[in-house]
Amino acid sequence: CKKKLIEDPKSILTPAFFSTTQGFQQGLDAAYAGTRLIWGNQDYFTITVIGTDEFRRGIDGNSDINVYSSGYTPSTGVINANWRNAYTFINTCNGVIDNAANVDVPAAKKKTMVAEAKFLRANYYFLLVQFWGDVTLNKNFVSTPSTAATRQPMAEVYDFIVQDLKDAIADLPAGLIKDVLPGKATRAAAKHLLAKVYLTRGGSSAAKATDYADALVTAKDLIDTRATHGLNLLQDFGKVFEEGNEANSEVIWSVQHTSNLAFNGPNNSGVSNFSADNVLNHMWVPQYERQPAMIRSTLYGRPYIRCIPTRWTTDTVFTNKANDTRYGKTFQTVWLANNPDPASYPKWPTPLPAGAPAGAVSGQPKFAFGDTAIFMPGVDRTNAQIAASKPLVIPPRNYNSSLSPYMMKYNDTKRANLNFPSIRPVIAYRLAETYLIAAEAAFRTGNMGDAVTYINTIRTRAAFPTGDPLTLQITAADINIDFILDERTRELCGELTRWLDLVRTGKLLERVKLHNSEAAPNILSKHILRPIPQAQIDAVVTGPKYPQNLDW
Amino acid sequence: QDAKTITAKGVITSQAGEPLGGVNVTVKGSTKGVITETDGSYQLEASPNAVLVISYVGYLTREIKLGNTSAVNVNIQLLPNKNEMNEVVVVGYGTRKKSDVTGAIVSISEQSIKDIPAANLTQALQGQGAGIDIQKNGGNSKPGATPSILIRGSRSVRAGNDPLIVVDNIPFNGNINDLNQDDVASVEILKDASSTAIYGSRGANGVILVTTKRGKSGRPVITYNSYVGQVRVLKEFPVMNTQEFAAFKKWALYNGRFSGNNRTYSSPDDPLLISQNFSAEEIESMNTGRSTNWQKLMYKPGIITNHQLGYTGGNESTQYALSGGYFKETGIYYGQGFERYSLKASVDQQFGKRVKIGISTLNTFTVTDGEGANPMGQALRASPMVSPYNPDGTLLNDFVPGSASQVWNPLANFEVEGASIQKRKRFGTFTTAFADVNIIKGLKYRFNAGVELRNDIYGDFFASKTTNNLGGLSTSQNRTSFRTNYTLENIITYDKTIAKKHSVLFTGLFSLQEQVTQGNEFRNNTILSDDLEYFNPTYGANLVGEGSHEKWDILSYMGRLNYSYNDRYLLTLTMRVDGSSRLAPGNQFKTFPSAAVAWNIWKESFMDNVSAFSNLKLRASYGRVGNTAINAYQTLGSLSPVVYNFGDITTTGLYLSNVSNPDLTWEYTSTVNVGLDFGMLKNRLSGSIEIYKQFTDNLLLPQNLPSTTGIPNAIVTNIGKTENKGIELQLSSVNFQGKGRKDFSWTTDLNVFINRGKITQLANGVTKDVANNWFVGHPIGVFYDWKKVGIWQATAADTAAALALGQTVNGVGSVIGNIRRADISGPEGKPDGKLTDTYDRMILGSSQPKWEGGITNRFSYRGFDLTVVAFARWGHMIRSNLHGGGFANTFQGTYNNIKTPYWTPTNGENEYPKPNANNTNTPNNSLLGFFDGSFVKIRTLSLGYNLPPSYIKRLRARAVRIYTTVEDPFILFSPFVNKYGGIDPEAAGSSTSPSNATLNLDTPSNWSLILGINISL
Repeated sequence: CKKKLIEDPKSILTPAFFSTTQGFQQGLDAAYAGTRLIWGNQDYFTITVIGTDEFRRGIDGNSDINVYSSGYTPSTGVINANWRNAYTFINTCNGVIDNAANVDVPAAKKKTMVAEAKFLRANYYFLLVQFWGDVTLNKNFVSTPSTAATRQPMAEVYDFIVQDLKDAIADLPAGLIKDVLPGKATRAAAKHLLAKVYLTRGGSSAAKATDYADALVTAKDLIDTRATHGLNLLQDFGKVFEEGNEANSEVIWSVQHTSNLAFNGPNNSGVSNFSADNVLNHMWVPQYERQPAMIRSTLYGRPYIRCIPTRWTTDTVFTNKANDTRYGKTFQTVWLANNPDPASYPKWPTPLPAGAPAGAVSGQPKFAFGDTAIFMPGVDRTNAQIAASKPLVIPPRNYNSSLSPYMMKYNDTKRANLNFPSIRPVIAYRLAETYLIAAEAAFRTGNMGDAVTYINTIRTRAAFPTGDPLTLQITAADINIDFILDERTRELCGELTRWLDLVRTGKLLERVKLHNSEAAPNILSKHILRPIPQAQIDAVVTGPKYPQNLDW
Repeated sequence: QDAKTITAKGVITSQAGEPLGGVNVTVKGSTKGVITETDGSYQLEASPNAVLVISYVGYLTREIKLGNTSAVNVNIQLLPNKNEMNEVVVVGYGTRKKSDVTGAIVSISEQSIKDIPAANLTQALQGQGAGIDIQKNGGNSKPGATPSILIRGSRSVRAGNDPLIVVDNIPFNGNINDLNQDDVASVEILKDASSTAIYGSRGANGVILVTTKRGKSGRPVITYNSYVGQVRVLKEFPVMNTQEFAAFKKWALYNGRFSGNNRTYSSPDDPLLISQNFSAEEIESMNTGRSTNWQKLMYKPGIITNHQLGYTGGNESTQYALSGGYFKETGIYYGQGFERYSLKASVDQQFGKRVKIGISTLNTFTVTDGEGANPMGQALRASPMVSPYNPDGTLLNDFVPGSASQVWNPLANFEVEGASIQKRKRFGTFTTAFADVNIIKGLKYRFNAGVELRNDIYGDFFASKTTNNLGGLSTSQNRTSFRTNYTLENIITYDKTIAKKHSVLFTGLFSLQEQVTQGNEFRNNTILSDDLEYFNPTYGANLVGEGSHEKWDILSYMGRLNYSYNDRYLLTLTMRVDGSSRLAPGNQFKTFPSAAVAWNIWKESFMDNVSAFSNLKLRASYGRVGNTAINAYQTLGSLSPVVYNFGDITTTGLYLSNVSNPDLTWEYTSTVNVGLDFGMLKNRLSGSIEIYKQFTDNLLLPQNLPSTTGIPNAIVTNIGKTENKGIELQLSSVNFQGKGRKDFSWTTDLNVFINRGKITQLANGVTKDVANNWFVGHPIGVFYDWKKVGIWQATAADTAAALALGQTVNGVGSVIGNIRRADISGPEGKPDGKLTDTYDRMILGSSQPKWEGGITNRFSYRGFDLTVVAFARWGHMIRSNLHGGGFANTFQGTYNNIKTPYWTPTNGENEYPKPNANNTNTPNNSLLGFFDGSFVKIRTLSLGYNLPPSYIKRLRARAVRIYTTVEDPFILFSPFVNKYGGIDPEAAGSSTSPSNATLNLDTPSNWSLILGINISL
């Protein structure tokens, strides 16, 4: 009878499965899946995009963390979400790496798989060390509960990351990126990340004297060997973020999302309580639908309006809009009337405003379905000009937190309907950034010639097809760290790295105060590090308290 | 001769007119006596002016003085005796005479269950017993919804507080809806640990013992019970009409539209505001006063009907009972309904002198429609200014205009056939059998077996154009589960009286219970044709599915010793050992002991002269029981799936999410109980008082691990403690006792109880767990939030005060007109001039009532009977999602709103904030949702008429009763209803958060009126 009391589960998998050969493969897949909680997820977007010189809080954005108000505390949810997710999938990587010795997989395949896990682990740790500084360093799989934890010095964590990436570079596939499955780790991706890690450590308190030189060598190596990976800059900046073109030759590594609606749909893709959807398509969409002749549509998106570009981004940093095509390819400034209801169209008043266009008739609609309904010229217009215009004209002075130019790199028109998340992979690392990393490392090491070359390569491409590339060329005299940061905005605007770029270069406080009017009065030096989540501190009840970051 | 004896004859019936067979009719002071026939008739000779004594177990003994005429026709009606000492009470693994009971048990009679014709047994028990708290779960009033039951409050924070239900001696794992109320003969509720200890690891939340009807020997009896009636909505939710909403929306836009720090509009009536924000249709409505009442278009009366046909009979050796029932209730809007078909059969057969076997089978098939369908959130938000129909009269099957593309026409769910379907079909059989063997005198062996098979199929389909999918993809899902559960019990009893005064009864048990549940679920979308509903995933896209399999076993040994000395001093000792598969090996067997003593004071010789007491008993018990709610496999840990794709290749990864805790054990509850039973004035006043204290330890609580461990889910551990204490009073009185059918009779059953629960320990010295609403020293699940102190007024004083608290007073973010929160405290323990989550939130109240009670009054006169059942909960707090949270009281003006007197700069409103189009919800809107939940409710009003015996005789019937019943007609003394426009404050949380009483924005409460007939042939 006592045999009846033995449990034999049939529909759950117990931790022992993880160390089987099959579990080894599924563990690695899970380690990849964790990257979806970063690239595409709102939590990571929130801590990398908003509250910078590039973007400030939109009307539906978070009024605490994004403006550094007193409501931004160690209890702020997104902080904990990023922290927890990173550690959960570090443990998954650790499980894969530790179990490798015990599983029955051909040696070559096993070596690659371990290298993939190391590449992913390096990503997770890099995220942790950049946001929080000294962090807990788990080098091995944890499968027994513990309520104790300590923080290891940043230098130790960086050493671990560097070693992981060196191992990954040695063991990951070296050939064409297109020869591996989309989203898989490659030697090129590990090189790109290692260059960025060196560059970042070089700007941190854990800096080593060789960091900038190592960053330059690593980035340069990738650029020089790009052909062996099938990598190259696209001719047209506009094609880099074209829908459906996420596997283009400029992309070093992307995080996959899917058009398979079984696994992508509001909250489908996570399975177990994770919100792993790519919602980047929603984040920047302004409230265009509240304007005359407009309704919400899949094409123009669902107005989450979490952030809007700062006036510095829209008005200042793109200096040569005539020849630098990137502003026009990054921001949408025209919306066409899409409301089928004729009553929604604005009508010319009586009397007609001065300067009304020919054909304007009092009481008649100003324009029709399919005509321009909203236009942001990017330069000022007088109130009289606005009144006499057919579409709604919004000059920069009238930008507000619900309607201003739309950062459209993540726009997605092929998702199931307007409420659905994006089906597009998110580009995590691309070659243009490798050039900018190389340029920054070259500048830091005094190799101004290299810096000029790399930046001009990017700027030359930016002129295509209508601009004159010669007008965009710079010389060594133009280069300083602010110029590099400006160039990064022009090239990488909105690409989930800005906050970290500002921290790496020590410019977060200065630039937020200069360009982000809402956050400027609030930001303090403690904000350079994210607070250790209160949940972490509360859960450490054995041994010494888990230390909080300074002034939090 | 004639002067010396007269012949008395007549019929003895129950209050309801049902003939009673086997009643003792004796002549007082003599040995003369007869027993009534099955039709209740009797005849005997007696001297003139003699007194007849009519006695029957379960009924009050009556004495009738005869006249001096011969052949007296004496028809007598007996009233049930609430506290009859010889009545047999089911105690679990056996029965006891009431005078021998040592624990705290509430018996609910067949009569009380009959009084309240309800959809399920739980509803019928509402207000009937002290310590039994039954409420609508989440305020859910859908047909087929099951209420939540708490016995003596809640003690577990995570493991559930549902009592164990035992039907015909076998633990029952079905839904309460799987039982037909008409098949139930009696219900006993075991409350103290001495009574529940025999159920060991499953006894902590109390035990409900249900005994079903079985056959009786005698002439076959056919019964037919039936009723039909209507269900109507109790009240509409109070939302704004066109005029009100238009004014509200204008204020919202005026308050919420700014360019920089300048208002966009000059006033709420700015023509620009109207032209920019109101459509032509809306403006026309404003001008004409045309208003759409969406609720009126949705609600329609539901029907309720019940039919039960029964046939019982038997002889000395064989008894049988057969019954079939049908119940149906449809909801107050289309698509909701609950139907139950039931069939019950039982046979009991004596073989020779030593062996008796019996079998009983309960079979039910239920169909629940629309159990989750809830268009209310959309219906209440739909603008009253627009029409649900197109100009050509067809249904507008689209977003309701003027609702920011968020509200779909709620009528689309109903008026388009097949657009919204949710159907649950359950079929189950619960069969119990026993064999009794008298081995030698006093020694009996009993074998009990029970098998429960239950199949549950659920499917739903929502077309694209419904409030569920808002024009997106059509969706469907299909879930099936099949459960088998069997119980085998071997029971030995030995009954012996030694030297006439020492009475010993030993009960020994060995039992095994096993349950296996298996389930599958699949979902898909983009179904090719709406006609396919949820049946065939082949014609849909994006199929995903899950499956489950769970098996658990309990192996039990139990011993119980009942000892009584001279019927005066009683002792019960119980010990149960449960071994459970759900605990880790080496840790599986746990022991649950209890002891109880009682003293029948009324049997003492010194009480002989105290004629006032017909019963007086003092009881005391102590015991320890468990709460079994650890899920199978929880001690093993688990991996979780996570989906990823490499391009088009989808893969399911696995990561470690839960680690094992081999030390996991039950929650234990120890209870001390002292009770006093009393009967006075020949039991015309009887009742009991209970005082108890419970200590629950080893509370199952999730312990959060530091995220840095990489283990994301909390581990469940046994930490934490709770306590409950309370007083319960149960009283029955016969206020007027008529002599016969024509006389006026009035009886009252009353129960009042008080329970005070609190958490006494949480994990690792934590004294407050804000995330879960757990606070040491407070009841489970309090309401913790900011303290609202009115609305920020547009005065210089308020502006200064707001600024001092760091609040914005200008522009779009101005707090003026918003909810004002108090600065309660700060790091120094006093107000710090800041509003912070940490220091300025407080416990606002708890859903634990100060007291609860129920009262049932029964009146009868000339064949009419009137029953009034009322119950009350008093002095607790509820949270209403209608008012705070949810989407119906946002003050955004984008959608229709609850009709509230909102703030404007000049009206000084101090309760409700300003409308503001710029805020999705008015800041701190949760503070609008807390209310005093006190109420007194009339549960049932029932008026019946028993046809006179002469008439019944002509019909060749035994009894016929016709009646009309109103269910839930009135809610009295409820501030939530009377002052704040709520509909019904009755709301309980879920089983795992029982005290988190929240009224969801869901199907409103309803009332019903039925007409019924009971016929017995």
